[in-house]
Amino acid sequence: MLRRDFLMTSTAAGLAASVGLLGSRAQAAPGVVDVFFNSDTNVVDFWTQNIKPGFEAANSGITLNLVPGGGGAQMNAIADRALAALQSKTDPQVDFMEAMGPYYPAGAIDAGLWVDMSTVGLSNYGLVNPVVVDNKWTLPYRGSQVVMFYNKDKIATPPSSFEELTAWIKANPGRFAYARPDVGDSGACFIERALQEVTGKDLKLFTNDNYTADYAEPMFQKLWAYLNDIAPSLYGGGQYTGGNTPSIQLLASGAVDMTIAWSDMALEAMRKEVVPPSAAVAQLKDLAFVGGFSGVIVPNSAANKDAALKLADYVISPEVQNKVVSILGGFPGIKWEAMDPELQAKFKDVAPTSIPGFPGGTWEPPLFDGWYRNVGVGLSKG
Amino acid sequence: MSVDALPRSAHPARRRLPVGLLLVAPPLILIVGILLVPALRTIIGTLQVPQPDGTIGWSLDNYSKFFGDAYTLSNLGRTIWTTLVTLALLILVNLPIALYLRFARGPLAAFIQATALFPMFVPGIVICYALIQYLGPNGLLQSLLERVGFVWYHTPYLTPWGPVIGLVWDAMPFTLLVLTAGAGGISTPSIEAARDLGAGKLTIFTRIILPQMANSIIVVCALDFFYLFASVLQPLLLGPATPELMGPYMLRTFVSVRDPAMSSTQATVTFLICSLAGYTYVRAMARRQKEEGAAR
Repeated sequence: MLRRDFLMTSTAAGLAASVGLLGSRAQAAPGVVDVFFNSDTNVVDFWTQNIKPGFEAANSGITLNLVPGGGGAQMNAIADRALAALQSKTDPQVDFMEAMGPYYPAGAIDAGLWVDMSTVGLSNYGLVNPVVVDNKWTLPYRGSQVVMFYNKDKIATPPSSFEELTAWIKANPGRFAYARPDVGDSGACFIERALQEVTGKDLKLFTNDNYTADYAEPMFQKLWAYLNDIAPSLYGGGQYTGGNTPSIQLLASGAVDMTIAWSDMALEAMRKEVVPPSAAVAQLKDLAFVGGFSGVIVPNSAANKDAALKLADYVISPEVQNKVVSILGGFPGIKWEAMDPELQAKFKDVAPTSIPGFPGGTWEPPLFDGWYRNVGVGLSKG
Repeated sequence: MSVDALPRSAHPARRRLPVGLLLVAPPLILIVGILLVPALRTIIGTLQVPQPDGTIGWSLDNYSKFFGDAYTLSNLGRTIWTTLVTLALLILVNLPIALYLRFARGPLAAFIQATALFPMFVPGIVICYALIQYLGPNGLLQSLLERVGFVWYHTPYLTPWGPVIGLVWDAMPFTLLVLTAGAGGISTPSIEAARDLGAGKLTIFTRIILPQMANSIIVVCALDFFYLFASVLQPLLLGPATPELMGPYMLRTFVSVRDPAMSSTQATVTFLICSLAGYTYVRAMARRQKEEGAAR
């Protein structure tokens, strides 16, 4: 082939390819439920190995397309797209979102973007533990809780109340660390527990729809005062790690004697021996640390909405929930009475009777930004 | 007479096809479509602010918020500091290596080059966690230093020097590649001529070598500037909570504070500052082309 002919053919092919890219629009395939994940790969693996085979076997003709959503901004972009598609009455190309709340994008709830799980007749809905329901659009299906992750060689008796924890931090300067609130959430749960402490442990003060700047500001001021008070006693005189794993690294290297970690990550670190054998976990007895439940949401305009709701129902069935506990190391989204009696017996001591929640959607953005501006900034002054 | 021997004008239909333009069209369409248009929309969006009466009006509100916020300005200042300090260190570390590689031969030079280029093949996140283990409290470095009696080590982890070290590590291979290419252009005859005229080593370096490398130093500074200014990973994992660098700050404003208008404004300011470096780069390239043109 002459060089010139080759160039023209390849140019034409290139043009055709780019026109093709612009021209074709993906349509959701019938019977293929597109599930987008906000959670990490361990959760996607759990779905691939447990939920997908079980669900597809019980529902012939439906297949699950499991897509790791990349977390954070990318999941938000998918939610943005779903809202835009709802407004233009087109296919949102997403049927099911994992570990997402209904509060993003702003206006999604008012526009009726998400399915109200409480009224669509899910056969297992009655089993859901009302304690862990955050809102009617999110179906909670797995939980974990933040714990104190500490070195038992250095701390014989871990603090049992937040007051004791504060006293311990101050008595042992430089030996405690928590992460920045917006990265990894273990730090977030610590400052949220501190907020509950300085406002009299009244969980009813914080609800999904009561945030206003005027209402929150006096409480935030108390929180900043508390956190700035303990800051000089923290690791490095007020340094904050950049996530869950860096906090655990500090404990592992012996740089601190206690940090704040997610229960499942702490247990995994102990199982994999990335922390010394002296590492142990403990929970506050007066009011436990804030925990979090990951839920699933389904857009009303999903092309495969019926199949997606069948999947939602399956995810909260005792069959899957038992595996959430035994395989994933999480807490169940349904009542413990509905769980396998063996698991009930095995976990009766650690099963939390209540997991204090914190309304993430509306409270966290100003809380985290305020932390950076009022607490995190302490270091640069020092 | 064979077909190939026909004069070109004998193929009028072929001559009129703008093959070159067609060739660049697909990438150009992609760049305009998925890069320039969204970027322009973002920039225009920062100038459009919802008014109290519900309409959208043109305003510089977002920018007055940006420049009126001491916290944001301290983040911007720290970003400039980190970028300039890292740039200076990168040149300081890589220029001698580039010159060494220009004049040295043999297995040692090859080993040094391979070692310096090694970070290119390690993902940034791996470098960050490895540096935490190595430089962090009770890390390998501290243990080694204590073994030889040095007990005053203070880890740079979670201080402003953490990201500087991480970024020097990360940007080193690219910087060295550009500087080595620049050093390759130093003409040996000019050095020998200067030496014959009795010039000392320092004079040769400042009067012969540096001017010949000036362009590649400017180019690498401009290109590194973009990379350093908008870096996210190293400041997030190795740096202090505050002041934040613009990269993590933009990300946090978008994801956690959920304020796309403000994060677009931060991105636009970052873009404008980086475009100064871009302008320097384009000017350096234009000057080189002019010089090469003159040389011919």
